Amino acid sequence: MEKDLIILKEYCHNSNVDQSFILLLEEGGLVEFVIIEGERYIEESQLGDLEMFSRLYYDLSINVEGIDAINHLLNKVIQLRNEIMELKNRLTLYESDDSEIVEII
Amino acid sequence: MAYIDYYKILGVDKSASQDAIKKAYKKLARKYHPDLNPDDKDAKRKFQEINEANEVLSDPEKRKKYDKYGENWKHADEFESQQNQYGRGQGQYGYGDMGGSFWSEAGGDEGFSSFFESLFGSGRKSGKSSNRGFKGQDFNAELHLSLNEATKTHKKVITVNGKNLRITVPAGIANGQTIKLKGQGGSGVNNGPAGDLYITFIIPDDNRFKRVGNDLYVTVSLDIYTAILGGEQIVDTLDGKVKLNVKPGTQNNTKVRLKGKGFPVYKKEGHYGDLIVTYSVVIPEKLTEEQKELFRKIQSLS
Repeated sequence: MEKDLIILKEYCHNSNVDQSFILLLEEGGLVEFVIIEGERYIEESQLGDLEMFSRLYYDLSINVEGIDAINHLLNKVIQLRNEIMELKNRLTLYESDDSEIVEII
Repeated sequence: MAYIDYYKILGVDKSASQDAIKKAYKKLARKYHPDLNPDDKDAKRKFQEINEANEVLSDPEKRKKYDKYGENWKHADEFESQQNQYGRGQGQYGYGDMGGSFWSEAGGDEGFSSFFESLFGSGRKSGKSSNRGFKGQDFNAELHLSLNEATKTHKKVITVNGKNLRITVPAGIANGQTIKLKGQGGSGVNNGPAGDLYITFIIPDDNRFKRVGNDLYVTVSLDIYTAILGGEQIVDTLDGKVKLNVKPGTQNNTKVRLKGKGFPVYKKEGHYGDLIVTYSVVIPEKLTEEQKELFRKIQSLS
């Protein structure tokens, strides 16, 4: 499958992000590069995450270790949210409003 | 539109230093930032409020104007124009970039409150202060479908930010499921790619079927005679009615599974879940004297 690649240097230049920050993210396993003939590229599919990491780093002053922890927790939040949705869907099976209230003898 | 107390929003008092305002803003931003609160509308609203408060209070000129007019902000423009007329005005307020305003980058319905715009004008949207944008903003939308609609692959036209999009909804899409439409979000910055559009589907159960995954559940009333003696029962399915054999001695709440009569499996053409039928045995409430006598006879025999 064909993937859209963005030259790292160009991305950093256009989006005003330090290349050293992206290298730290790569070191921490938060982004992956594709290297072709010595040039580093980023897959377009990683841009959303990358921009979120940049906002956390630059705007909220969270360091790379903090971003790593946040990323783990966010993934967990998403996983739990999906589980809740599944359980809610299942719960409708047992919920009915036609129950009759009876007195205990 | 009501007066908004920006100091209260940031939790600082009126004499707070610029440093204190910055610190309060950063602390609240870390708490309510949309990246840290995915799909939390309350957090997003709160984040917009603190951004607006910061936009005003972190800028000495704006803060001065806000402090000056305060609750009398509705008359600010009149005062300003009078001052300009008599040559005592301070001229136009410059809306230079404020540090730390980033809500439009973080995704969301950007924009200031009408209070802000009345006081400061709406010439400039917040955000992009750091000019770090590249990929366009991701958009989120909800699409409501009936259970019946979700059983078939069909086209749907939706309007996102004034643009009509014709999308194909695959059969079997689940309640709460989100699909991504690449490149259908906001335009990219600095030649960056456009953002994506995320559509979350809301599919409530209908009054006949309840859905769990690919299986459908239906409750069918069964008369006591068929339950005891066995017989046939007509049951509704998604694609019409089917006739089922009921075993003699069927208990109340007995479940039977009809293979392949459930919901279509998402993106697996020709695959279906099951239909689970629960028999609800109905006890007759009004019996004739003759019927009662017969039941007594049965009772005495057992």
